[in-house]
Amino acid sequence: MKVSRRDFLSLGAGATIGTALTPLPWKLMDDVSIWTQNWAWTPFPEDGEVTYVTSTCTLCPGGCGIMVRKVNNRAVKIEGLKGHPLNQGGICLLGLSGLQLLYDNKKRIKTPLKRIGKKGEEKFEPISWEQAISEVCDKLSNLRLKGESHTVAGIVSSKFGVLNNLFKRFLTAYGSPNFLTPQSGSDSYSTAMFLMQGVDCNAGFDIENSSFILSFGAGLIEGWGSPVRIFRERTNFNQNGGKLIQIEPRLSNTGAKADKWLPLKPGAETVLALGFAHVIIKESLYKKDFINTYTQGFDKWKQTIIDTYTPSYVSKITGVKEEEIISIAMDFAKSSFPIAICGNGKDRTPESLSHSMAVHSLNGLVGNINRKGGIWTVPLPDYINWQEALIDDIAQNGIKKERIDSAGTKQYIYAKSLLNRLPEVVNLGKNYPINLLFISEDNPIYTLPNTNDVIKAFEKIPFIVNFTSYLDETSVHSDLILPNHTYLERYEDVSTPPYFIKPIISMAKPVISPIFNTKHTGDLIISMAKKLGGKISESFPWDSYNDCLKKTLNDKWQMLEEGGFWVNSTFNPSKAENQFKTASGKFEFLNAAISALSPGDIIKPEGDNSVFPLILIAYDSIRLSSGFIESPPFLIKAVESTILKQNDVVVEINPQTAKNYSLKEGDRIILTTPKGEAKTKVHLFDGIMPDIIALPKGLGHSNKGLNINNLMGQIEDPSSGFNICSGIRAKIAKA
Amino acid sequence: MDALDDEKKNTSKGFGILFFIIGVIMSLIIGWIIFPKLLYSKKNQPIDFNHKLHMASVDNGCASCHFLRKDGSFSGSPKLSECIGCHSQVQGQDPEELKFVEQYVSKNREVPWLIYSKQPACVFFSHAAHIKGAKMDCVTCHGYIGESTSLKVYEQNRISGYSRDIWGKDISGILKKNSWDSMKMDDCAVCHESKSNKSAREKSVQTQKEGCFVCHK
Amino acid sequence: MSEASNHGASKMYGMVIDLDKCTGCGACMVACMAENNVPFKEDESDKLKSITWLRLYKLNNGKPFPDVQICYLPRPCMHCGGEGNHGHSPCVSVCPATATDYDLETGIVSQIYTRCFGCRYCMAACPYHARYFNWWDPVWPEGMERYLNPNVSVRMRGVVEKCSFCYHRYQIAKNNAYNNGSREVLEHEYQTACTQACPAGSITFGDLNNPKHEVYKLKQNKNAFRLLEKLKTNPKVYYISKLEWVRKLGDNYRS
Repeated sequence: MKVSRRDFLSLGAGATIGTALTPLPWKLMDDVSIWTQNWAWTPFPEDGEVTYVTSTCTLCPGGCGIMVRKVNNRAVKIEGLKGHPLNQGGICLLGLSGLQLLYDNKKRIKTPLKRIGKKGEEKFEPISWEQAISEVCDKLSNLRLKGESHTVAGIVSSKFGVLNNLFKRFLTAYGSPNFLTPQSGSDSYSTAMFLMQGVDCNAGFDIENSSFILSFGAGLIEGWGSPVRIFRERTNFNQNGGKLIQIEPRLSNTGAKADKWLPLKPGAETVLALGFAHVIIKESLYKKDFINTYTQGFDKWKQTIIDTYTPSYVSKITGVKEEEIISIAMDFAKSSFPIAICGNGKDRTPESLSHSMAVHSLNGLVGNINRKGGIWTVPLPDYINWQEALIDDIAQNGIKKERIDSAGTKQYIYAKSLLNRLPEVVNLGKNYPINLLFISEDNPIYTLPNTNDVIKAFEKIPFIVNFTSYLDETSVHSDLILPNHTYLERYEDVSTPPYFIKPIISMAKPVISPIFNTKHTGDLIISMAKKLGGKISESFPWDSYNDCLKKTLNDKWQMLEEGGFWVNSTFNPSKAENQFKTASGKFEFLNAAISALSPGDIIKPEGDNSVFPLILIAYDSIRLSSGFIESPPFLIKAVESTILKQNDVVVEINPQTAKNYSLKEGDRIILTTPKGEAKTKVHLFDGIMPDIIALPKGLGHSNKGLNINNLMGQIEDPSSGFNICSGIRAKIAKA
Repeated sequence: MDALDDEKKNTSKGFGILFFIIGVIMSLIIGWIIFPKLLYSKKNQPIDFNHKLHMASVDNGCASCHFLRKDGSFSGSPKLSECIGCHSQVQGQDPEELKFVEQYVSKNREVPWLIYSKQPACVFFSHAAHIKGAKMDCVTCHGYIGESTSLKVYEQNRISGYSRDIWGKDISGILKKNSWDSMKMDDCAVCHESKSNKSAREKSVQTQKEGCFVCHK
Repeated sequence: MSEASNHGASKMYGMVIDLDKCTGCGACMVACMAENNVPFKEDESDKLKSITWLRLYKLNNGKPFPDVQICYLPRPCMHCGGEGNHGHSPCVSVCPATATDYDLETGIVSQIYTRCFGCRYCMAACPYHARYFNWWDPVWPEGMERYLNPNVSVRMRGVVEKCSFCYHRYQIAKNNAYNNGSREVLEHEYQTACTQACPAGSITFGDLNNPKHEVYKLKQNKNAFRLLEKLKTNPKVYYISKLEWVRKLGDNYRS
């Protein structure tokens, strides 16, 4: 039998018809189309039992209550905690993005690391916890034996709380005075209140109940204070008919939402504030009953203000029209609950003491102190009452030494810590070298101005021990990284959110068990102390951080563990005994200490104006995190394209100024300041003063944009020692 | 020559039909018997669970282990914590139980059950609406699993990744005998669009064309 | 279109956004991304391709320094009902695959990703740019897929996605109602993620047909307006602004 071509065709035809009579083609078609919807690489999130864990967000000092939604053992969403006194269920975008920090396998440090490459080279080898702790303790013991315990320093970003106190206690018992924390605007305001009211307190602003806010650059909706609380209270303030005047060189969101935006050159705030004071005094609009009964030094202070800060003088210096100075001052003083506030954007950098005091004088003039809708003196947290650390002879010698940053010395009498001075003193080799530096939850190489100098200083320090959860600019320059749990994996007490009006403690607690081989920094301090032995060990009578936290919080522990927060809701500042603790027992406009400080003047930005005709300012955006925490991907995604375009940061420039340089929207420029140079693009923006250009804070991580600290310098406030730089001279050229 | 040609034609014609029939039969065999076998991979469950045995010792029927949580969501297959009450120690002689206790309970490891009725990610199904709203029993959709003494082999579609119980035992989709034989969208429609089942069609949530979001997510 | 099913009056879920309260912080955008498994890419600065179900627009009055004013406007999907609210939404009318449809029970415009084949007609039809196309497969950096929400399915390359008014929360609320022996979903039981997160309290969500719901009262505010009302898309998102230039800009077809 011969099989012909025809037979094959018949076979084919039969097979085709037969196949059509089977489910094969139809089933295949269906399965293939389903397959295209279910790529193996498209995740299928696992379902399961939903639970909520109450905790506290520690990504900024705000201290909002959070509820984390879990599905089985996964955390899937962070939401605001309803009923929390600060945020009342609201939440900011950084708080919402917290899980991107928790579950970031790339940036998280998974195990203790020891540097094997050059500093900054990102070459590390994993080591065991035992080895890590014994390496640190060996170094510490050697320095102590050599009598150099004071050459150890510690930087801790949290200003209050058990961890902060454990660290400070460790350094004290070990024998070093060098416990450093970063400064912020609330530090200058608290210092001003200390000088004028004699109380060491947290300044509280009753935004919601005030009727008029005169804001000198405070970014009320940029992240100032406890951000979500201020957002909420600003809404209520607005709905109640409150009036907001925003004074700043660049139209921020706060300015956009204000009743009036008053453009003002950076550094002229003090003079303008005193100009307002002049009008209020001259027009006799100050609260006489308050001034007469509760104040001291008014007459003498009044004379200087009347003599010097006349509207014509102030107008000449600040560029603000005389009529405007007069009308704003009068509106402010005539309002029933007026508040004057200051703060540079998010308030993460301090103001000059003269600026804070000028602003607080305005509040004094209208008598809006310690009453509804005014400024409150809120007591500092008092729940940490440990016995004094035990101090042996070596420690005694060590802590007697002058602090490396000279804080608290005659020159910087009101400063408790001056982290900003550290790079300079290390670079100049003043006083003594720093041989070992601890860093806890801070990223000074990123956050301190003049990055080049900071890196130089950090390279000079022979041994840096970093307790961080993430690989960042500072940890790559560290010698030993001892990874901490992230805030969603650990216990932590959070107190004293800036500018809140009531004493409050919130608690962060583990939402999930630690993902990686990390340890709580508090536990490490206790184990280091135990290993060092002697009195240092005896100073730490706790088994673990949790043991210490539980014993410290004592009767509040259970409440915090269950509800997430404790608040003294009936706190009333006017009833607080001795609200003024100055020598006179009154609110002092002027006293010996204040007279000794430098008077309010214009702060000139660094740089020669013949070479650098423009001023570069740094601004804050709520959509960018500018501190220790790097902006997670959701934040970068939410940033406008007029701020970040591809990987380029965009500098804002007034269209008039742009015209002088023949610049169009999107043009590339080279921006130079006395500290550095950068390539950027321009965005023409009518909301910025002519001859001022602005860049955002918080970019420059992971090749996204530029860290503005590369271009910024420092200006030291002669009264406090704080860095009060808010701008630097700059020039631009078309690239 | 002509005759020869004719003969050739005839024979080839006869063979042609033969080949045609062979083609049809071959493809029918492939399509109906071989293809379904090739299409599905077979997996055994990690533990061969005896439903019948357990049903005898619980009070609340299926809901003793497969229950609605407080928030109304369906718990699915039980977690280890629900079994541990009885099985912290080996109870009987069954080698499957021994395996369960040794490999999962003592190691505190969840059993990776293979879910026959697992729906794709885009489907939202409310057990509460059917159990509490429509007062239906489990058997209507899931069959008599509660009476089984052994778990059947889990078959997974090699292309789509779906369980065979979703598309149905019978891959032609025309020979469905029981309501639990398949669980595709059309199978939901059997009740929800049915003219005879008025309650499912009218009293249930909207199941018209516009109601996509009732069951999709 | 057929009649709605016979179990209770049909609802019309909608939103009122008070632009005077909105601070432009962006919490709504991120709350939405976190809730709805919206992915992110290395570069998101091309905002036309950056998938943002709820996008915050920055408006200005066009005046020079120092008279410039800024107002932020959050834009979710408008869930247009079309004229007479019969579901003749611009997008629904053009979808050849019935991948997007108008739900007569809730007034929500659905988007079924597995049904969509990516023709993008709906994107062309939508006057609000509320729809986004997945040009790439979503990729989460290693580890981050752990935070994905199981209540929302993850989209694949080649399909269109948009705001769903967090419809999955309605599904869950309804499921919970069934569990408690009822069928009614109360106002507080169904709220979108953006509404819940907004720190300034500027977003209100609820049933526009229900006089007891907050949105019913708010939409009657004299300063309330909707975007491009002249197009008769009948959107379910209302805005409130005391600034006249904002209201004008919101409906720039109206003289």
